Amino acid sequence: MEEVKVGVFLSDCGGQIAKILDFEALTNFVKGVEGVALVARGSEFWRGEGLKTIVNAIKAKRVNRVVVAETVPKISEVAIAKAVEEAGLNPYLVEVIDLKNHCAWPHRDTPKEATEKAKAMLLAAIEKVKLQEPIEKAEFPAVKSVLVIGGGLAGMQAAEDLADMGFQVYLVEKEPFLGGLAAKAVRFFPTDDCAVCIQSPTTDLKTVTQTSRKCVYRSGFSEIPNLKVLTNAKVVKVEGGPGNYHVVVERKPRYVDESKCVACDLCTTVCPVEVPDEYNVKLTKRKAIYINKPLVYPPAYAIDAKACKFHECAKCVAVCPTKAVNLDQKPEQLTLNVGSIIVATGFREYDPSVIKEYHYDEYPDVVTHLELARMLDAFGPTGGVPIRPSDGKPAKRIVFVQCVGSRDRRWNPYCSSICCMISLKHATMIKEAFPDADVTICYIDIRTTGREHEYYYEKAREMGVKFVKGRPSEIIHDPATNTLVVEVEDELLRRLLELEADLVVLATAMVPSEDAKELAQILGIELDPDGFFKEYNAKLRPTETKLRGIFICGGAVFPKDAPTTSLHAHSAAVKAAKFLMNGKITKALKVAVVNQDYCGNCQFCPVTCPYGAITLEPKGDGHFAAKVSELLCEGCGVCVGTCPVGAIELRHLKPSQISAQIRALLSVSGTSKPLVLAFSCSECGHAAVDSSGMAMMSYPANVRVLRVPCTGVIQVQHILEAFKAGAQGVMVVGCKPDGCHYEVGSQKAKQKVEMAKALLRAYGIEPERLEMYNLVFIEGDKFAEAAKTMTERLEKLSPLQLA
Amino acid sequence: MAEKSLDFAREITSKHGGETITRCYQCGTCASTCPVARTTERYNPRQIIRLALLGQRDEVLKGDAIWLCASCYNCQERCPQKVEIADVIYALRNIAIREGNIPSIYTEFATGLMNEGRLAPISKFVEKKRPEYGLPPLKPTDIEALKKILTATGFDKIMFKREGASP
Repeated sequence: MEEVKVGVFLSDCGGQIAKILDFEALTNFVKGVEGVALVARGSEFWRGEGLKTIVNAIKAKRVNRVVVAETVPKISEVAIAKAVEEAGLNPYLVEVIDLKNHCAWPHRDTPKEATEKAKAMLLAAIEKVKLQEPIEKAEFPAVKSVLVIGGGLAGMQAAEDLADMGFQVYLVEKEPFLGGLAAKAVRFFPTDDCAVCIQSPTTDLKTVTQTSRKCVYRSGFSEIPNLKVLTNAKVVKVEGGPGNYHVVVERKPRYVDESKCVACDLCTTVCPVEVPDEYNVKLTKRKAIYINKPLVYPPAYAIDAKACKFHECAKCVAVCPTKAVNLDQKPEQLTLNVGSIIVATGFREYDPSVIKEYHYDEYPDVVTHLELARMLDAFGPTGGVPIRPSDGKPAKRIVFVQCVGSRDRRWNPYCSSICCMISLKHATMIKEAFPDADVTICYIDIRTTGREHEYYYEKAREMGVKFVKGRPSEIIHDPATNTLVVEVEDELLRRLLELEADLVVLATAMVPSEDAKELAQILGIELDPDGFFKEYNAKLRPTETKLRGIFICGGAVFPKDAPTTSLHAHSAAVKAAKFLMNGKITKALKVAVVNQDYCGNCQFCPVTCPYGAITLEPKGDGHFAAKVSELLCEGCGVCVGTCPVGAIELRHLKPSQISAQIRALLSVSGTSKPLVLAFSCSECGHAAVDSSGMAMMSYPANVRVLRVPCTGVIQVQHILEAFKAGAQGVMVVGCKPDGCHYEVGSQKAKQKVEMAKALLRAYGIEPERLEMYNLVFIEGDKFAEAAKTMTERLEKLSPLQLA
Repeated sequence: MAEKSLDFAREITSKHGGETITRCYQCGTCASTCPVARTTERYNPRQIIRLALLGQRDEVLKGDAIWLCASCYNCQERCPQKVEIADVIYALRNIAIREGNIPSIYTEFATGLMNEGRLAPISKFVEKKRPEYGLPPLKPTDIEALKKILTATGFDKIMFKREGASP
């Protein structure tokens, strides 16, 4: 191996921190460290002339490892890595530390101690970089093709975006027709126009204007180049990984050839089987061969396998002029090769039958919003008139009940967020068509938080919709008059009311689609406690999942109105496009590697890895060994912390590098205070250390920080090693348990800390010498406070002698 | 006022049965399902909870409303926030009793228990009827043993706190 020549570049921040730190002493100290070939001092090294100094030293082959003591956190690290790479040195052979915010500023009251700590920090960086090997980049293929699961409003729009951008898109829908909830909902707020219109494709198609929106059925959806719609289809298996999935899709037979059917309706005239029409909430009947009218895609009939008598009858086969009906169609399986997957499976209405006091399953005149929507559809079962399903008479008195099964700890604790608006929309639609209708909304809180939503509330009051603040406790049916009675307390009057109604509409909770759980398992992604697909980060990455390559959008993530669903769909499409646009995934291999000789097939790491990156592969001798996927591994090191035999290590932080840094940070004391080693993660934990310095908080210089990718990497032995190397106390600073950048790392670290405390107790060492902290950037004050408190705590204890 | 109201809420949540009171979002399901509220305006469970959460300690503990609950548990079954309303009312009654706010009927029950070993005296007529229903004759109560228990548990001190009251 080439001789290690470390260049150390010390920035004094324009002389500012030289007022605190003795740079001459630092320079002399560094010169004496083995392997250091060059020491330079300047006012800044992350840009301009300073950066040129580094680049020139690399180009002149004077150095092949670089340590920079900079004063600007993070940005400097990025800029230096970039320049170094361009100069021909692997960027992982560079270590950047922050002498200003991690040393000079927080310890400005004790300059001598600060200088000694700076020496320790420089030594640790030098020792670490000396042991570092180059980390190369790898390329993985990315198929420019996307699978979209769910053909509702979200799925259709995401599919169209991606097809427009030139990706091959497969849109898989489990029903025989596209549209999802939108196809049934008739009108959507806040535009009150058709629910089934979507953006037009930007593809230049005749008859499709780019400026307008279009109904699904006339948008030219099927004619968009690169888009393949698969109805009656379901994802059953996913293999491969990001950029290159092999997805098995199973298609139920439609028994009608989409390419031949001309939708002439002859088949339904001869079909003898009649069943309740679910599309029209069973208010009307349909034939076993059917199409949902009038808004539908694909424009081809389908046969209901549960109702059809097949060859016993076969009248449709005989009458079909295009020979489109094929009763012998079999289920088929297709394998699709896609680079990424978008989940857009939407939400559905909760079945309110479980809420016994509302008697949904007993009284036909108690309906849900979707059922009312079908009645309000002019093409629907009642021609747009709300009726009493029990006797078909028009409903004159209508009571809406809000929060049915939502905001209810017995069923779904969350607010479904759109039901208030749906009730206001339906109430005003009814009042508009039937001004004499007596419409009452019983509510707990009316939530109209979207743009233009409050106007619906205003309009409803103007039109004479009555509002009762109170949640009904029971719906009673009076058989004598076939009238429903809603029992509710008008809280504002403090009066018990018995509202008589012809029709009671339940604003039921919106819950995840039935298949969500199964699909999450197939894809290896998580659901939240309410059963919706869990996003990677609710604030910043609302349409990404923890798995690269898999995205989520629309109501599958949480109930949404149409505008938010559109936003979500476009976001997911952009994320998928960004992921695949280069046709390859380029990634630096800062990953975990397994020493196959040590691995004892215990299964800990495959279970713990948050990214499913580790599998057990047969070794051939009857044993298994863990194997890390270089593509899936995020380099957090949670597996390293979990492995009981130390068989896994990170390429960017080897065990020898952790040990070397522990020793280096504790080798220079210069303070009478007890030395403390603080392991901090590179994410929120390190940011908190940064911010405490940036805000000029002070804490004593005996606290030394060792940065690791994630606290999940820490093993009990690292903590013990720190004590053996002279630490009187150990701090572990990580992200919040539920905000860990690597999902579980922070929680794992907490477990390690508890285990180490138990061990310390067994050894007769005070367990309070060890503590875990969960901090974020804005909690730098808490880091400074913790460092002070830990120091004071240790000063009260007698010194630890472990030598 | 804010501090006071928090104090009372904390006091209630620290009592057995009162733990869930802060979940209440005032939907009124309890009031509209309550058979007592249907017959009298003097009792409304939603209002009791609201007063309690607003810190109206005296109004809640010294008024007669908390004693009107029939413990049918309708409200508790139907509360969407799983507030254990009937149990909250018990918790409030327990606080009231310890402070001597005891309706006389309860003191009478307690006196009966201490002196006769029964909440209410059994009439000779009822006693005579028992064999007709195949019930064994009543055994005499061991009043002394009962008194011992009631004294040891502090029952007497709690129940006869009110001035002038005695067993």
